[in-house]
Amino acid sequence: MALSTPASGTDAGALAAAAARPTVRGTSLWRDGVRRLLRNRLAMAGGVVIVLLCLIAIFADVLAPLPYTKTNFGRLNEPPSHDYPLGTDALGRDMFSRMIYGARVSMLVGLGAQVIVVLIGVPIGALSGFLGGRVDLALTRFVDVMYAFPRLLFVILVMSMLGAGLLNIFIAIGLTGWVGIARQTRAQVLAIKEKEFVDAARALGVGFGRLLTRHVLPNALTPIVVSVTFGIPEAIFTEAALSFIGVGINPPTPSWGQMVGEGQQYIRSYWHLCVFPSIAIAITMLSFTFFGDGVRDALDPKMK
Amino acid sequence: MKIPRIPDAQLDLLAERLAAVGVGRRDFLKVAAGLTAMGAAGFNARPAAAAPKLRPGEKLAKDQHFRYGGGGWYQNDPSSHDFNKDLYCSGVSELWAGLMKFNADFQPVLHVAEKVTANKDGSLWTFAIRKDSKFSDGSPCSARDFEWSWKRQMDPASANPYSSYFYDIKGAEAFNKKQAPDASQVGVVAKDDWTLEVTLEGPRGYFPVLSAYLAALPAHKGSVEKYGDKWTEAGNLVCNGPFVLETWEHNKVMVLRKNKHFFGAKDVTLDRVTIPIIPGASGALPYENNELDMTSLGTGDLKRLQSNPKTVEEVFRYPFPGTWYLTPQVTKPPFDNVKVRRAVGHAIDRANVIKVAQGFAIPAHSMIPPGFPGATDDPKIKAIQAFDPKAAVAMLKGTPYEGGRNWPKIVLSMRDEAYGSKPLAEAVQAVLLEHLNMKTDLEVLEQRVFRERLWKHDLQFVWIRWFMDYPDPHNEYFDTFYGKKTSGKRQAWVNDAFDKELEQGRDTRDVKKRMTHYAKAEELMQADGGYVPVAWVVRYAAAKSSVRGLEKNRQGEYVVDGNIYVDMLPHVYMVDKA
Amino acid sequence: MLQYIASRVLWLVPTIGAMALVTFLVMHATPGSPLDPVAEGANPLSPEAQKNLAAIYGLDKPLPQQFLIFLGKAVRGDFGKSFVYKTRTVMEILVETFPISLLLGSMALALAIAGGLALGILAAVYQNRMWDYVSVSLATVGVAIPNFVLAVFFIILFSFVIPLFPTGGWDSPRNWVLPTVTLALAPMGIIARFTRASMLEVIRADYTLTARAKGLGERPVIFKHALKNAFIPVVTLLGPMFAAVGTGSFFVESIFRVPGMGRFFVLSMTGRDYPMIMAVVLTYGAFLAVMNLVVDLLYGALDPRIRY
Repeated sequence: MALSTPASGTDAGALAAAAARPTVRGTSLWRDGVRRLLRNRLAMAGGVVIVLLCLIAIFADVLAPLPYTKTNFGRLNEPPSHDYPLGTDALGRDMFSRMIYGARVSMLVGLGAQVIVVLIGVPIGALSGFLGGRVDLALTRFVDVMYAFPRLLFVILVMSMLGAGLLNIFIAIGLTGWVGIARQTRAQVLAIKEKEFVDAARALGVGFGRLLTRHVLPNALTPIVVSVTFGIPEAIFTEAALSFIGVGINPPTPSWGQMVGEGQQYIRSYWHLCVFPSIAIAITMLSFTFFGDGVRDALDPKMK
Repeated sequence: MKIPRIPDAQLDLLAERLAAVGVGRRDFLKVAAGLTAMGAAGFNARPAAAAPKLRPGEKLAKDQHFRYGGGGWYQNDPSSHDFNKDLYCSGVSELWAGLMKFNADFQPVLHVAEKVTANKDGSLWTFAIRKDSKFSDGSPCSARDFEWSWKRQMDPASANPYSSYFYDIKGAEAFNKKQAPDASQVGVVAKDDWTLEVTLEGPRGYFPVLSAYLAALPAHKGSVEKYGDKWTEAGNLVCNGPFVLETWEHNKVMVLRKNKHFFGAKDVTLDRVTIPIIPGASGALPYENNELDMTSLGTGDLKRLQSNPKTVEEVFRYPFPGTWYLTPQVTKPPFDNVKVRRAVGHAIDRANVIKVAQGFAIPAHSMIPPGFPGATDDPKIKAIQAFDPKAAVAMLKGTPYEGGRNWPKIVLSMRDEAYGSKPLAEAVQAVLLEHLNMKTDLEVLEQRVFRERLWKHDLQFVWIRWFMDYPDPHNEYFDTFYGKKTSGKRQAWVNDAFDKELEQGRDTRDVKKRMTHYAKAEELMQADGGYVPVAWVVRYAAAKSSVRGLEKNRQGEYVVDGNIYVDMLPHVYMVDKA
Repeated sequence: MLQYIASRVLWLVPTIGAMALVTFLVMHATPGSPLDPVAEGANPLSPEAQKNLAAIYGLDKPLPQQFLIFLGKAVRGDFGKSFVYKTRTVMEILVETFPISLLLGSMALALAIAGGLALGILAAVYQNRMWDYVSVSLATVGVAIPNFVLAVFFIILFSFVIPLFPTGGWDSPRNWVLPTVTLALAPMGIIARFTRASMLEVIRADYTLTARAKGLGERPVIFKHALKNAFIPVVTLLGPMFAAVGTGSFFVESIFRVPGMGRFFVLSMTGRDYPMIMAVVLTYGAFLAVMNLVVDLLYGALDPRIRY
C-alpha cells in the first residue's frame, strides 16, 4: 500500500488523479482553461445547473411556497396536483417546498463536508510532500492507514460517536473523506517542488510558509479543484446512504438524501415521495460530474 | 388437584423471576388462580386436536408447504435455537415442546406433561410426562431430559444470562452462584423416566406457569455434548417439538420439516415450513411476488394492499398491544412545571397525528388499549388530555411561558424505528408548534444509545412506546412508571400516591377493585403530567387465501407467533381450490 | 521485484495494526452498550447478568489489556465469537459470507469493466458529439442514482412489470442477475469516465499520431494502440474498486437478500458487535492492500516504463 501507485483512490480521488499528472504551466493557462471550459457545452450546462442549485439553496425562504414544516393532515401522500406541484409527503407537507429546502441542506452537506476535507487533506498532503523525509514517511503511513478503512462503516462509526445532525454529518464525511485529496496534494507538491521556479524563489530567500502557500500550493490547485467538484456529490450521496440507514439528519429538516431514504419504502404506494428527490440527486450528480470533467479537461494542457 | 391460593410473599418472588426475563406475571397468576376452580379438568385437559376445517369448494393442498417471514419477522439470522440457554436467541420455538404451553389467550395448557400435581402448600410439584414424548431421533424425551435441561440452565458454566428465571427451584440460586459445588442439591429430580419432581424453595402456587414459558423448554443432551455451541445447527439438532430443522443456511433461509416423532404429529398438517431471512428494507415485495404465503406489513405497504380489491381480504390485524406516548422530563425545564406538561396533553391533536402512521396507530387517551384488562373509558380521564387548543394555551397562564413565549430550547428524543414512529413524532412536533408555539428539535438516536440515555433520565422530552408483555395493567403501569423501580426506570417522574395505587393494585385479589386502583393511578399520573398518551399501536399481517388454521383469541383476532404464544405453525394448513 | 513485494507485505503489518487500534478506540468511545440484548422487545439484563456477560466477553478488563488480548488472538486468526450471533465465531461467519460477496463483486466488476470500457471508448472516439453525450449520460446515471433506489426500481421493473427475476435470494443464477447489475452500474460509470479521459489523452499522443501517419485505419489505431495504453491508468482504479464491491454492499445485499458480508458493514456497528466490527474493518483493509499490490504489479507488467 505504498504511494507509488500513480492514482488509486475513491471515485473522486481516482478521477481527480487523472488531472494530477505534473505539467508545466504558463501564466496564460488559467485564461486558456476558462476559454476551453466555456466552449465545453456539457460542462457549461452542468455549471449553470450548479449555479441555479446554489441560488435555490440561498433563496429557499423566498422561493418555497410553504414552510417545510407546514403540515396538512387532510392531504397526506397526495400525488402531484395543482395545489401541490410535486405532491405531499406522509405529513401532508408540500414536497415542492421541501425539495427547495432540501437543496439547501444537500448543498450544505456537499460543501461543508468538502471544506473539512480540504482543511484536513490539503495541509497534510502539502506538508508531507514539501517537507519530505521523516515527516513525509510518518504522514504517508498515517494516510495509508486511514485510506484502508471501509468508508461506510467508518462514517457510521463516527456518526454513532457524535450522534445525528447536520454538523456531525459534515464532520463524519470530512473525517473519513480527506485521504484522497491528501494523496493528490502530496503528489502535486512533490512534483512542483522540483521545478526551477521554486528553487529560484528559495534562492531569493523566500520563507518556508510563504513558499508553500504562494508558490507551491497555487500550482497544485487543479487536482484539488477537480477533487472537490467530485467530492461534493459524493458527500450528498453519503448523506443519502446514512439517512437510509437511519443515522442521518434529524427530521423534520429535509434533505434529498433523507427524502429518498424515507420514500424508498413507499415507492410502490406513493412513487412521488422517492422519485422527485432521486431525480434531484441525479441531476446534481450529473451537473457536478460534467462540470468536473470539463474543468479537468480544460486545465489539462495536453487536452488541446 | 387443588391449587392453594397464592400468598403475596410468593407473588413478589414470582415478580422477581419474571422480571429477570422481562415477562410479567399477572396473566399467569390469574390463570393459575383460576385453575383452582377448574380443578383437575382444567389443568390436565389435553389440548383439542386442530383438525383442518375446509370451506366448500376447497381441499387440502397436496403440498403442505408454508412460507412466511418478512416485514420485521426473522429479519436477522437467529443466534441459535437454544432457548434453554438463551431465551432471546430468536430461534424457531416450534422446534421445541415444553411441559406446558400457552394457548391463543395466553393461558397455560398441558403439553409434554399429561398431568401436574402439587403437594398441599405448593412447594413440591410433580409433572407426569406423556409416555409418547420423543425426540426427533425417535429416542424418548423423558423426565431425565427435563431434569438435565433445567440444570443446564442453572449451571454457571453455561452462562445463561437469564438463569435467575428458575431461582424458585430449591438450591438453584446457590448452584448458579457457585455457592454449591454441583447440581446434586438442586430440587429437580426425575423420580423415574416419566415423572419429574420439582422441589421449590417454598410454596409457589404459580410454578406450572413458569414451566410453560420459552425459558423452560428442554435441550437435547446428546447433541449438546457432541456438538457444543453448534448443536442447534441443522443436521446436528435433535429436538422434541412439532417440527425439525431440515436446513439452516445462515442469513438466508431456514427450512423446517414436520417431526414424525412428535407426540402430536397427527394434528400437524404442514409438512414443510420455509422461513427466509428478509431484511426490513424489502417490505412486502417478496410476499406480493408470491415468494411468501404470509408476511408482516410495514407502513409502506398496508394502505396499498388494503385498497387493492385483490389483496384486501388477505390483510388482517394481529394483537400487538402497545402505546406511543410522550415523557416530559420533570427535572428539566420547561417540563418541571406541571402546567406545561398538562398543556402538552391538551395540545396534541391526536385524531390528526395518527393519520400519518398510515393505519399503524389509533388515538390513545390512556396506557391500556381498548379490549384489554384495565382499559378505561372514564370521561374524567379523557378530559385530562382531551385535545383542546384553548385549554392548552390557558394552562400556560401564570407560567413563564404564557402565550407560548419564552420557550427554552427543547429537544424531543426518540429511537430509530420503523412502523411509522418517525412520522408520528414529526406530527407531534407540528401540533405542538401550532397550538403552543412550542418549537422542538427532533433527535433520532440509535437504539442502544437511546436506552442508555433514557435510563439515565438524561433526555428532556421523549417520544417512546411500551409494548405490552402480557395483558394486565400491572405490566402497563408497574413495569414502566413505578417510582421505586431500581433499574430500567424510564423517567424521573415519581408520585407517591400513584405508587400506592399500584401497590394496592398488585396486592388486591378482587378483579373489580384492582381495576379501580389502576384507573385511579392512570388519573393521578395524567393529572400530574407524568406522561402524555398519544396513540395505541396496531399491527398488520397478510396471508394468502390458501393459508388457513391461524388461531383466534377471545377478541376474535388472529394470533401469530410472539413471545408467549408460540403455537402457530402446528395449527396452520394450506388449501387449494377443489 | 521480490524485494518490493516483500517490503509492501511487511508494511501491511503496522498498517493493519494501526487500523485495529483506531477502530478499537473509536468503537469503545461510541455510546451504546454491546451488553444490551439483541432481540427486539427483549428486556435489559440485570446488572448482575451484565457483569457476568462482560466478564465472558472480556469487557471488564482495562482497555489496553483488551486490545492486547485481541491482537494476540487476531494474529492467530481468532477474532472471537460474535456478540450478536452468539454461537458462531466471527471467522466462521466471514468464511461463509465473504465468498458470496466476492462472487457477486467479481461478476459486478466484470460487467462494469466490459460496459465501462465500451462506453468510455465510444465517448472518446466521438468526443463532443452525440455519442459522447449519450454514453457519458448513460454511464453517469449509474453513478447518479443511489443504489438502494436503483435496486427497488429494478425489482419493480423486472419482478412485477416484466416478471423475469425473483425479488431476492441467492439460490440460482437467476437470483444473481439483478444484484449484479445494480452493483455494477456505479463502477461502470466511473470506469467509463476514466476510460474516456485516458483514451482522449492517448488518441492525441505522439505515437498514435505516428500510427495514423503510417496510414493505419482508425479502427486498428483505436484497438491496437490506443486501447492498450488507455487501459493502463484504468487498471489503477480497479484495486480499490474491487475492494469496495468485492467485500459486499450493504444496500444491494440487504434489498436483494444476498447472504454476503456487506450487511455487516452496517449491522456490526448498529449491533455494537465489537469482534465483528474489528474483523470487518481488518478484512477490508487487508483485502484492499492485496488488491492494490496486485494492481501495482499488473501495472508494471502492462507499462514497461515502470520498474520496481
